[in-house]
Amino acid sequence: MLSRTADNLYWLSRYVERAEYLARILDATQRLSSLPLAYVGTSNEWESAVLTAGCATAFFKIYDEANEENVTDFLAFSTANSSSIRSCFEMARSNARAVRTALTMEMWDQINGTWLELQRYGNGPTSREELSRFLRWVQESSLRFDGSAYRTMLRNDAYWFSRLGVYIERADNTARILDVKYHLLLPDNERVGGPLDYFQWAAILRSVSALTAYHWVYRDSLKPWLVADLLILKEELPRSLASCYEAIVRNLDSISGAYGRQGPAQRQARAIRTRLQNSRMDGIFQRGLHEFISEFITETNGLGGAITEQFLV
Amino acid sequence: MRIRISHATTYRYDTPPNAVTQLLRLTPRNHDGQYVVEWRIDLSQDCQLHQHEDAFGNITHSFTADGPFDSLAISVSGEVDTQDMSGFVRGAVERFPPALFLRETDLTFPDAAIVEFAEATRAEAGAGASTLSVMHQLMANVNGELAFDVRPTQTVTTAAEAFKLKRGVCQDLTHIFIAAARHLGVPARYIGGHFYRADGVTAQDAGHAWAEAYIDDYGWIGFDPTNGICPIDAHVRIAAGLDFLGASPVRGTRYGGQGETLIVAVNVAQTGQQSQSQSQG
Repeated sequence: MLSRTADNLYWLSRYVERAEYLARILDATQRLSSLPLAYVGTSNEWESAVLTAGCATAFFKIYDEANEENVTDFLAFSTANSSSIRSCFEMARSNARAVRTALTMEMWDQINGTWLELQRYGNGPTSREELSRFLRWVQESSLRFDGSAYRTMLRNDAYWFSRLGVYIERADNTARILDVKYHLLLPDNERVGGPLDYFQWAAILRSVSALTAYHWVYRDSLKPWLVADLLILKEELPRSLASCYEAIVRNLDSISGAYGRQGPAQRQARAIRTRLQNSRMDGIFQRGLHEFISEFITETNGLGGAITEQFLV
Repeated sequence: MRIRISHATTYRYDTPPNAVTQLLRLTPRNHDGQYVVEWRIDLSQDCQLHQHEDAFGNITHSFTADGPFDSLAISVSGEVDTQDMSGFVRGAVERFPPALFLRETDLTFPDAAIVEFAEATRAEAGAGASTLSVMHQLMANVNGELAFDVRPTQTVTTAAEAFKLKRGVCQDLTHIFIAAARHLGVPARYIGGHFYRADGVTAQDAGHAWAEAYIDDYGWIGFDPTNGICPIDAHVRIAAGLDFLGASPVRGTRYGGQGETLIVAVNVAQTGQQSQSQSQG
């Protein structure tokens, strides 16, 4: 397989996954911001949405204030933001078009259909309701694309590269979602464990579809260290860091098995997975959750670089 | 190096036991120098195998098999991908501060002869020698002092007894190394695992054992006194403990039954790349 083809497949999946992630952040933020102000006091959730998406610098170059209108526009529809939902779908589609023959009919139909339908939304919805519908549509499009890849692709290097893109992006996204709670500082008059705190944790869990899973696993009220345990160390949860790395290592193993050669990407991925397997939550909290996550995000970026270096250029 | 390991432990009973309960430390964990590609445990009797983690972070499996049965076989097989880390142990599970591994045990009690041996080793390394070079000297001396001999010692032979005999297996050499290192104030622990032999002999009678010593500024470093080398990519690390008993592969008890015989067969081989094994297929 040409490196260029592998590169397109990898980024196609990454962009689709990223679009879904942005929709999840906006959805969670919308939920948080619709809590009555009298109940939760003042809060800064729109700013934290921009921080979570990792594009605060670019945002504040264009806008002075992070409010619902600006943030929604920037993260969902802006053409100035290279990782808005619109840009992600556009880049996913152009990557898909470049490797049209490596995709199945279903995958192409799905990604092309998504792109065509995106035009229908124009420059953004006019009401909160329409925005909710849009966000739901984005998540469903990603699910359909993921499902069509899973169900129709031949299990060869093309499939493994596309999966690799999904899981690298997902690992990065879950880590960022968890980090949002660090940015989303509680106002002074709010206490830890109070109503705002509760809704913030619930929103985080909901944004990775893990609220029900949390109650199944722990049968307990929402506690920060248990939420972190679930999203970092539990391999059973499909969006957890541990689970993403299990999949990354598996797909890299498949690639190296087929090519008969190992490389730095595989070694790095295994090292990170080993660290996740050997860590325990009390150790992570002792060193600082934010520090752990920042380090993890840097390492995942490093792994992305190693994969690019080894296979995609 | 890709190493394929199979490890079969078979018990035969003249009089069948009513039940057998065992604790297995047969499953390796990942660290920077090794990655477990796949691993499985099979038992010849129907029972539930529970996975736990012991205090040192070793993966353990426990089971109770209800008898009566004439034989019980525990077979473990898997593949591990290893890298030569020049003896450094990084990224392994650490549940205790290193100072815990200064604790003496019955099997690693340093008697007068071992104390003298340890002091002589320190003197031989020279005044002002670093801890690291003292440990290297110790490994070389244990390796030179004792002859490898499977006959005289058993699993319960202490370091002092083996040192008196001047012969023993990897377990005894490791115990002596640990006893001497701890006497010199260096935390040391017992590592049970497997060793791929460079001479191509893949069938072995038992697993391998070596020691790790904690050296300030470096962390844990492996020392294999049997081979006189620091662990390389031929070593697969399975369990760590204060001595053999803490890292032993199989421990257990049996209710009823008599005349137990034990056969252990270990096979450690290097696997080729996938394409090669297919063409040989």
